[in-house]
Order: sequence, then structure tokens, then C-alpha cells
Amino acid sequence: MDNVKKVTQAYSLAPWRRQIQVAVIFLVALTFLAWVAVVYLNVTARAVTMGSEIQVMQQDLEVMTRENQDMESELAHLTSAITLQVRARELGFKQVKPEEILYINVPDYTGRQPITLAPPPRPLVVEKSALDPEYTQSLLDWLDKNIVIPVQAMAETLP
Amino acid sequence: MNTIEYNWRYSFISVILSAVAIMIVIRAGYIQVGPHKGDQEDIIIQNEGYWRTVYPARGIIYDRWGHVLAGNDEVYEVGVELQYVKNPETIALTLSGLLHLDFADVYAAASTPYSADPENPAVYARLADNITKEQKETIEKLMEQYASQPASSKKDVKPPSLAGLTFIAHLARSYPEGSVGSNLLGFVNMEGVGFYGVESKFNQLLAGTPQRVWVPLDPLRAEEMPRIPNGASLVLTIDREIQAAMENILDKAIEDSGSSGGALLVSNPRNGEILAMAVTPRMDVNKYWEYEETFPPGTPFNRGVSREYEPGSVFKVLTMAAGLDSGAVKPDTSFLDTGVFEIGGIYINNWNMGAWGPQDMTGCMQHSLNVCLAWIASEIGAPRFYNYMQAFNIGRMTGIDLGSEATGRLKLPGDGDWYDADLGTNAFGQGVSVTPLQMIAAISAVANQGQMPAPHVVKSMVNNGQQYDTPIQIVGMPIKAKTARQLTEMLAISLEKESSDALIEGYRVAGKTGTAEIPTETGYSSSMTNASFVGWGPVDDPQFMVYVWLEKPASSPWGSIVAAPVFRDAVKELVVLLNIPPDNVRQRLQGQ
Repeated sequence: MDNVKKVTQAYSLAPWRRQIQVAVIFLVALTFLAWVAVVYLNVTARAVTMGSEIQVMQQDLEVMTRENQDMESELAHLTSAITLQVRARELGFKQVKPEEILYINVPDYTGRQPITLAPPPRPLVVEKSALDPEYTQSLLDWLDKNIVIPVQAMAETLP
Repeated sequence: MNTIEYNWRYSFISVILSAVAIMIVIRAGYIQVGPHKGDQEDIIIQNEGYWRTVYPARGIIYDRWGHVLAGNDEVYEVGVELQYVKNPETIALTLSGLLHLDFADVYAAASTPYSADPENPAVYARLADNITKEQKETIEKLMEQYASQPASSKKDVKPPSLAGLTFIAHLARSYPEGSVGSNLLGFVNMEGVGFYGVESKFNQLLAGTPQRVWVPLDPLRAEEMPRIPNGASLVLTIDREIQAAMENILDKAIEDSGSSGGALLVSNPRNGEILAMAVTPRMDVNKYWEYEETFPPGTPFNRGVSREYEPGSVFKVLTMAAGLDSGAVKPDTSFLDTGVFEIGGIYINNWNMGAWGPQDMTGCMQHSLNVCLAWIASEIGAPRFYNYMQAFNIGRMTGIDLGSEATGRLKLPGDGDWYDADLGTNAFGQGVSVTPLQMIAAISAVANQGQMPAPHVVKSMVNNGQQYDTPIQIVGMPIKAKTARQLTEMLAISLEKESSDALIEGYRVAGKTGTAEIPTETGYSSSMTNASFVGWGPVDDPQFMVYVWLEKPASSPWGSIVAAPVFRDAVKELVVLLNIPPDNVRQRLQGQ
């Protein structure tokens, strides 16, 4: 018994070491939790910041869409037919008469074309496989196509 | 310090800290599952976000060259957040002065006591809408001014304040051209609903599809909102410059002739595109609330498509076309005009009650002889004659992409009110009612090798980033190409022989005048007429067709005197705006 006690004692940690171990483990765990909390808070704060920026940008997008429409309309007001006629008269322009116009032939000139605001609808393209049917057909498909269906069709046509 | 003292101090601290931790955990748990859990959940839900209906911007309407005819302006709704109102009198004074609102109404709205009671809420009051940016900026300057003033030392005196006023921006329809083309466009009211014209016909497409979207308030739940496409945009066949020019010409003609109203239509006879449709009355559709002042009850918004009338002698073009095409007559067929023709028990006379002697068919058109045309109709025979008229779509809608189109009336054999005499009178355009659009559409067949294209005002539609063009539709071929060419030549010669006021130097045009007596309760009135003219050119390569109608001209009842010069003035503008060189220049350039 004494020998066992001596061996146990020889390989046991001192009480003060054990206490330090427990304290260190506790502190490590605490530090780990603190890091997790820091990382979580950091990521959440950044997510919130990004989210706020997204919300602000969406509002800005709405504002800018409205402003674009408004400016297009304002430009149209400034270049309306009557406004331009008044400005032209003020600048001394006069309406041209048919007999005052000089016509010149310009090769390949097709004339003024009506406005195109967007591309025409895209034609529907049926995608054809680059592989021959032999590479995608199963044996049963081949038998169906080349033997079963023709035989059935023949049977229907026979009286 | 002995071991016992050392241990109990540490134990005491650990017990305290543990107790605090346990209390925190218990409290957190209580909040999660306690009796106020429902209220807290409600607050969370309320502050998560809200549902909002997003209305897309209304599609733009362009003319054929891309000029904006109908766009969207940024305007503001003015309201008050009742919780923050300090001085409703200032608000009422300011808005009544700047925006011309009623003082009492604004004061009553701004004085409403704030109430957050869900059953009887009073949180926000709308005061005005559609105010401009400039007006908003003026009000905001005043707000800043009042906010920066020091508070009054007197307790019973409320300092002036516009606190509580808010502005909500939105888009409202705007028409940069004012009244130009307004009868074709129509207008949109404050609720965003289109009335008349293209705005009404294509209201759903232009308005787009509103969507309900969830708007999260919690930044952590922020997400990209779905992109809601704007309403479809339309490109019209209208040429803004031609439309403005035709309106000026029509207005001047109405003023000069003392007419009660009129219409001037321009189309491309090869494809049915309407280049201009000038009609009266007309209004600036930016002030759509003045509609009833400009259009008294019974007045159509666009007489070009909605107003039926008896066309008179311009209708002879269709009768002669039917006569030539059916083989009943040829261009050189001779007719002895004795000044009277009996049909169905009534006697048809010429416009001057005179007899014109031997005439060929060109002469009949040149002198606009009712007797000759009534005879031609009788030679064609009633069944064939009315078949031809129906083939020209007389008495039927053209199907134009505008609302409120009238059908006109063509009495047919078998109808309860059709008599044999109608064959004679219909031949020269009396007893039949048409719209100006029907006439220009029908006579397009004569200008276009016998093919009658469908008239339309929408050239293409832009939706979802793609442009869909309106295809040319030939709705019928009422006459053969040879007939069309023959008749065009006859009408060109008749204008030249008559030295008509419709002729333009350098350009060969074909056309026909019209003077129709207006039916009244006591019979036809010879003093009140509908004066009209239809013409097209250049004869060898028609690029425009013009239809003029002046209602009840006071200066002269005759189409040849009041309507033909209008055609000439219109063509003078058209050849410049459409870049059509004089015939000799054009033929020389084509030969190169």
C-alpha cells in the first residue's frame, strides 16, 4: 500500500498545479466563448451595416428612377415642337418652302429611320444535340423505333 | 490569512457571481415564455417590415422619331403627420397661399387630434397632391425659416411653424407637347387611369403590373427587392412635326372659313400608318380637369374616328371605283348629262341644277356630277354596288387602335329604311354616314394599287426590353390594281383640267372635292354643308394621303373653295417634312 501510495504520489500533480490547470482550462473556454461572441458581433454588425446600405441604395434607386423619368420629361418639354418653333423664330429662322430646297442624291442613304428603342424579340431557337442518336439511344429505344412501331403500323393497315 | 478565511472569500464571490448569472438566465427565460410574450412578439412583427404595393412607372408614348409625347414628371403629395403638428394655422395659411387650397379644409385636416388607436386612427392627413418640385422647395425653405426662429417668450402665443408637413414623391403623367396630338393621346387622371385615345386603349399595357412586396425594416433581413418592370412604352406612327403643322393649318382654315369644326388626317396609303390626325376641339391634356369646358356633352373627343357625317362628293371616288372595277363603265364611257336622273321615284339633280351635256367619266368626276354618278350606281346594280361599299369597309369599323370608333351607317337593300332611291343618293355620298377615318382608309385602296391597308396609330410597342413592331395588314382588295391606277389618273387629270386650288407646283396629285348638305329635321339644308377634300400624291409613287373636312363653313359652302386650299397648304408642308422632292427631281434621282 505504501508503495502504491508512493507511486501515485510520484505521478500525481501537486494540488496547486491542478488548480492552475482548472483555472487555465476555464480561462481558455471563456476566451473561446469571448472570441465566438466577438466574431458573431462583428459579423452581425457588418451584416447590419450592409443591410442598411442595401436599404439606402434601394431607396436611392427609387429616387433615381423617378429623377430619370422626370428629366426625360423635362427634356421633352424643352424640345417640344412649339418651344422649338418659338426659339427658331427668335433666332431668325424661317420656314423653308418646297421650291427653296436643294436635293442631293447620296448613294446608299436609306433616309431617316423610325426610332428603335429596344432589340426585336429573339427568335426561338430549338437546340439540336450535336450527338447522333446512336450515342444517346438505348437498345430498347432502338428496338422500339425500328421494329416494334413499324410492325404495329403494318398491323393497323392490314385488313 | 488562514486557509478557512481564504476559502470562504472565494466561495462567497463565486456564489454571488453564480447567483447573478442564474438570475440573468431566469429573466431571459421569463421574457421568452412569460405572460407578455404575445405583446413582445407583436412589437417584433410590427417592426420587422411592412407590405407595400409598388406601382411601376407608366410607359412612355413616343412619336415615330422618338420624341416624347407622354412622359412622367416627379410630383409630390403634401400631408401632415398629426403627431408633430405645432401650428395648424401656419400650415393652412401657407398652403392656401402657395397652392391655392381652401384655408378651412387645410386647417381642419391639420388640426385633427393625433390618435394611435387602431380602431380610430388619426396619424396622417393628405392635404394636396401633384405639387411641383419648385413648390415643394418653396415650402421647405419656409419650414427651415420657421424652425430657425427663436421661440416666443409669451406663453399664449404659438410661434409660426410648419412642423409635421411631409412630402411623398411619385410620378404623374405629363404631356410635353400640350395640345399637340392630344385627341390621339387621351389623358390620364390622378388615379392613373387612361381616358380616350391611346392612353385608354392601351391602359393596362402602359400602366404595367403593380406588385406587393415585403419591405423589411430589420437591416439584417434586407434583401434585394424584385425588379418591377415599367409599363410598356409605345411608339406611334404619328410624326410630331407633321401633327403640329396640320393642327396649325386646320386651325387657320377653320378661322378663315368660319367653320364650326374640322378634321385634317394624313396617312401613308401604302401601309395605313396615320402620320397626323388634327381635329377640333382640342385641349391641353396636362389640364385634363378642363375636359368638360372644351368638350360639351355630345362632343366626341376625337371626331376623326368618332364623328359620323354624310361625306358628299368625296364618296364619288368609291362609286366610280366600283363602276370601273365592275366593268359597268370605262374611263372613256360617254354619258349625256341632262341635269336630272330619276331613280326610285326621286329626281337627282346636279349641284348647280344644270345640265352638263356629253361627259366622259373623267368629266363626271371633274364636274362632280351627281346625275352621272347616280346613273353609274344604277348601272352597277344595287347588290354589286353595296358589295363594293362593304368591301371598302363603309358601315364597318376600321379596327384602328383607338377607342370610341364609330361604325357609320350604310343602309343595305333589305334594311327596313332602305329604298331604291338610296342607291342614287348613296352614289354621291348622301344618305350614308361615315367617319373621316373610314373615308381615308377606304380611298387608300385607290392610291395603293387596290390594296386597302388597316389604319393604325401604334407603330411598335416596347415591353420587357424588346420592341414589337405592328405588322402591315392588308384588310382587303376591293378593286383591281388596274382600276386603282385608272381612277388615280382620272382624278389627277380632273384636278388639272379644273385648275383646282388643290394643285401644288412641281407635284402631281390626285383628289376629289366634296360638298355635302347637312340633314336637318326639316330636310337637307343647302346653306349648311360639310366641305371636304381627299387627295394623295405623288401620283406615280403615293407617299401621303390627306383628308380635309370643314364642318359648316360660313365663308363658302363649297369644298372646292374652302377645303381644296387646305389640302394644298397641307401638302406644301408634307413634301418638306417627308423629304419628297418635286416629281421631275425625284424621277431623275430614281433614274440615276
